Amino acid sequence: MKSKGLSRQNIYIMVASLLLLILVLSFSFLVLIPKGKEYRIKRSDIIKVRKEVSRFEKFNSDTLSLLKKLQSDNRYTITALTTPFSEDRFLKQHKKYFNTLILSKRVVSEKEGVFLTYDVNTSSKISSPKSIYDFLDAINKSDWIIGVNFPIKFKREGDTIYSTFSMKVYETDKKDSNNSK
Amino acid sequence: MRYSYIKHRRKSAFTEDMQLLLIFFSITLLMLFSTYLFLIFKEYRFSEEKKALQQEQVDLNNSISNMKKQITLIEKQNILAENIHTQNAVLKDSISNLFDLVPQRITLSEATLLENGLILQGITPNKDVYSFMLQAPLRSIFHRTYSSFYPAKNGWLRFVSTNYIDKEEDEDMLDEE
Repeated sequence: MKSKGLSRQNIYIMVASLLLLILVLSFSFLVLIPKGKEYRIKRSDIIKVRKEVSRFEKFNSDTLSLLKKLQSDNRYTITALTTPFSEDRFLKQHKKYFNTLILSKRVVSEKEGVFLTYDVNTSSKISSPKSIYDFLDAINKSDWIIGVNFPIKFKREGDTIYSTFSMKVYETDKKDSNNSK
Repeated sequence: MRYSYIKHRRKSAFTEDMQLLLIFFSITLLMLFSTYLFLIFKEYRFSEEKKALQQEQVDLNNSISNMKKQITLIEKQNILAENIHTQNAVLKDSISNLFDLVPQRITLSEATLLENGLILQGITPNKDVYSFMLQAPLRSIFHRTYSSFYPAKNGWLRFVSTNYIDKEEDEDMLDEE
C-alpha cells in the first residue's frame, strides 16, 4: 500500500515556500517599507525645494525686469553720472553762452555717499543775464550732473558782466557701481 | 546479470514542481530587489536634484541681491540728479528774480548771491528811491538788511546792501508748518 503522508519532495517545497515567505516579509518590513517612507519624504522635500526655486526664479525675473525698466528710464542720469568730466568737452558745449569762459582745473572734493564730487571754478564774461539763464538750462541737459554753487558773483564793467561761480560735478564711484554688478 | 528489462529512469531534484517553484521564487525576488533598486536610484536622483536646486537657489539669491543693489544705486542717482536739476532751476529763478527786483532808476555794479544772503552794490539817485524801490522789497524777502551809502562823483549815491536770511528762523517756520 502507498503511504498517504507527505512525500519528501513536498516537504522540501513547503519548507522552501515558508523560507521565501519569511524572506519576503522580513525584506519588505525591514528594508522596503522604511526605504519607501524615506523616498516619500525626499519626494515631498524635493517638491518643496522646486516650489521655492520657482518662487525665486519668478522674483529674479520680476527684479530683472524692474532693473531693466529703471535702467532704460534713467539712461541719461546713469550715463551722466558715469562719464568722467572733461574740461575741453564742457567748454566746447557751453562756451556759446558766454563771451569768454575760463574753467579752473577740477579739484577732488569730499565724497557724498556713493558719489565722488569735483569742484570746478569758473570765470566768465557775459553781455546779458539771459546768457546765464540759458547756461543753467543747458547744464541740466549736459553730459554730466553738475550743480552750480554759491557764491555767484556778478560785476558790471561797462556793457560787460563778469561772473564767477563754482560748479560741483558728480560722478558715481566706480567701486560702488562695480560692487552692485 | 540483469534483473529488469526496462532502462532505469534518471531521478533529478529539479522536478517540474521544483522548476515552477524556482521560477516563482526568482520572479518574486527579482521584483523585490528591483523595487529596492528603483527606490535607491530615485533617492540618488532626488539628492542630486536637491543639490543642483540648492545651488540654483544660492545663485538666484546672489543675483537678486546684486540687482537690488543696482536698483538702490539707480534710485540714489535719480534722486541726486533730480535735486541738482531742481537746484539749478531754482538758482536760475533766483538770479532772474534778483535782476527783476532792481528798478530801472538804480544801477547795479556788483551782485553776490550767497547761500543765505545777497550783497548788492550800485548807484542810486537818492536814498528815497533806494528805500522805496529796492530796500522795501529786499526787507520783505530777507530777515536782516543792512545798507550803507557814500557819495558818487556825479552827485548820486553809491550803496552797499547786505541782506541775510536766518536759517534758524527758516527751520522754525518749517517745523511750525
